[in-house]
Amino acid sequence: MTLEFAARTQLGDFSYDARFEAGNEIVVLFGHSGAGKSLTLQLIAGLLQPDEGRIVIGGEAVFDSGTGLNLPPQARRIGYVVQDLALFPHMTVAENVGFGMTGAGREWRLGEVLDLMHLGDFRDRKPRSLSGGQQQRVALARALACDASLLLLDEPFSALDESLRVELRRELIRLRSELDLSVIFVTHDLREAHLVADRLAVFDAGRLLQFDGRERVFRAPANRRVAELTGVANILRGRVAATRDGILTVEAGGARLRAPAPNGWRPGEGEAVDIAIRAERVNLRRLDADDPGQPNLVRGTIREELAYGATHTLRFESALEETVEVEIAARPYEVLGVAGQKSWTLELPPEDLHVMPVVSASAAGSSAGATTA
Amino acid sequence: MTALRARAPHAGLALLIAVFAVFFVLPFAGLLERGIGGSGTWDAITSDTALDALVLSLWTSAVALLIAVVAGTPVAYWLTHARFPGKGAVEALIDLPIVLPPTIAGVALLTAFGRKGLLGAPLDDWFGLTLGFSTAAVIMAQLFVGAPFYVRAARAGFGSVDAQYERVAHTLGASRLRAFARIVLPLSWPSLAAGAALCWARALGELGATLIFAGNLQGETQTMPLAILSAFERADGLTAAVALAILLLAVALVALAAFWLLSTRGRGTP
Repeated sequence: MTLEFAARTQLGDFSYDARFEAGNEIVVLFGHSGAGKSLTLQLIAGLLQPDEGRIVIGGEAVFDSGTGLNLPPQARRIGYVVQDLALFPHMTVAENVGFGMTGAGREWRLGEVLDLMHLGDFRDRKPRSLSGGQQQRVALARALACDASLLLLDEPFSALDESLRVELRRELIRLRSELDLSVIFVTHDLREAHLVADRLAVFDAGRLLQFDGRERVFRAPANRRVAELTGVANILRGRVAATRDGILTVEAGGARLRAPAPNGWRPGEGEAVDIAIRAERVNLRRLDADDPGQPNLVRGTIREELAYGATHTLRFESALEETVEVEIAARPYEVLGVAGQKSWTLELPPEDLHVMPVVSASAAGSSAGATTA
Repeated sequence: MTALRARAPHAGLALLIAVFAVFFVLPFAGLLERGIGGSGTWDAITSDTALDALVLSLWTSAVALLIAVVAGTPVAYWLTHARFPGKGAVEALIDLPIVLPPTIAGVALLTAFGRKGLLGAPLDDWFGLTLGFSTAAVIMAQLFVGAPFYVRAARAGFGSVDAQYERVAHTLGASRLRAFARIVLPLSWPSLAAGAALCWARALGELGATLIFAGNLQGETQTMPLAILSAFERADGLTAAVALAILLLAVALVALAAFWLLSTRGRGTP
């Protein structure tokens, strides 16, 4: 099953424009609430119509503004689990799951799906009498039962306890490989996105900012906004001082940073760039007389410290214009004696620095087309 | 909380409750006392006038209810989901007969559908069809005053069904009609049943509009309320009026109880 999706629409002040595709994989739509993630699912399901666009499911066009084609939701063969599940309260589990099933062998197939989702014991119960995790499985079973090979999940685990979420995510990954599903999964939880995604689509304010493999989005965000959304704590503004042998030298604040040139984009000397580095990638070194002037080393002083138990987050003031955030595990924190020492040398390793083009907020969306291609 | 609520009411409040209760219960007691004690009660109940009126009342109100449900259900469903300018005005217009005194409704019906009315005149001229002072007029009067109760309740019922259920039903392959029958109807059933009961009760008790628009002809337009009024207006007619009132009351109670039983048993708890 494949999905090709391209849509543009205007809803009051909200303008939406996105284009992506999915194969047999889990594509996570990630972003803050109101970014357009749920809207994307509604457009795919046919509950809303875009002003312009083309949506193809499994090789069959279901919407095409060019030809005026618009199949209603009931003709699109999609499994859609909405955020609040919307289990039919007056029906039993079996009636809910069997709602979309027709044709020969219905009873037998219903039993199959109930077993697959471990719901056999609850078939005559009403949804209200089930736990959150069980209700979630009923909603999934109901969506799977009509043999949809495209599954749309809208924040499916948001109402559940952490332990249940872990279990259900594992179940989803199992189902995808067992049933050859394409799954479009909406979440605003970064960890969840990282765990379940094969590919990641980052949405912001109705625009698809980046659509790429999971690792690529996390390691090489397309721009400052994607880096912010995917939890990069340190984004520095700098200027390219030199480019040589695929290595950029960037001046940022009072520091010189060497970083590999990004794929597919070669900034010129003097061009403004953004540099991203995750908080857990910054190393702490004891002060040394040789440090000043060395590339990728910056002296800093701890201004704020937050202890999370397993990790500590340190905020440094340094020659760089922005505060540098460093995340350090509890063990090195103790071994280094960070508690008793305020001044450190910060090492920003070249391989962990990612150089991004500077994009204005309004142009951020148009870069999505380039990253999609 | 429960302890607070279960506490005995304050003395002043208790007195108020008692007076209120007496006010509502005493008329029924009076009716029964007069009916059982009166000598001509049984004769009045079994008279041709009474039976004709009862039969007419039952079948006309049933037809009015049927039309209200068949026509009112789609209208209420559409009104629940439609968005258009002036929707509030349309809703107010549908509710209008609820607050309108029935005599005004009767006059209004006459000016529209009577022999000289807006639509009544052309109907009479072209087709020789006269609606006023016929059994059809009885049903129209009952429909006019009763249907708004059903539409109102149905709108509330449909509005209380989360639209998400229908959307999900569509994505599961259900047509609009199937989603309505399997999801919306069962979930709004209690409201629809309550609305239908109100509509029928209102139609059964209809007097003012019927009297003006349909007249008071035994066997043709004389429903039970009209028969009670006619009996009462005769010299020493109170006995007959009381007897007919008891009969109508009993029939209405039995019908509503049966309806309530059917509607709760048919659906279980939604």
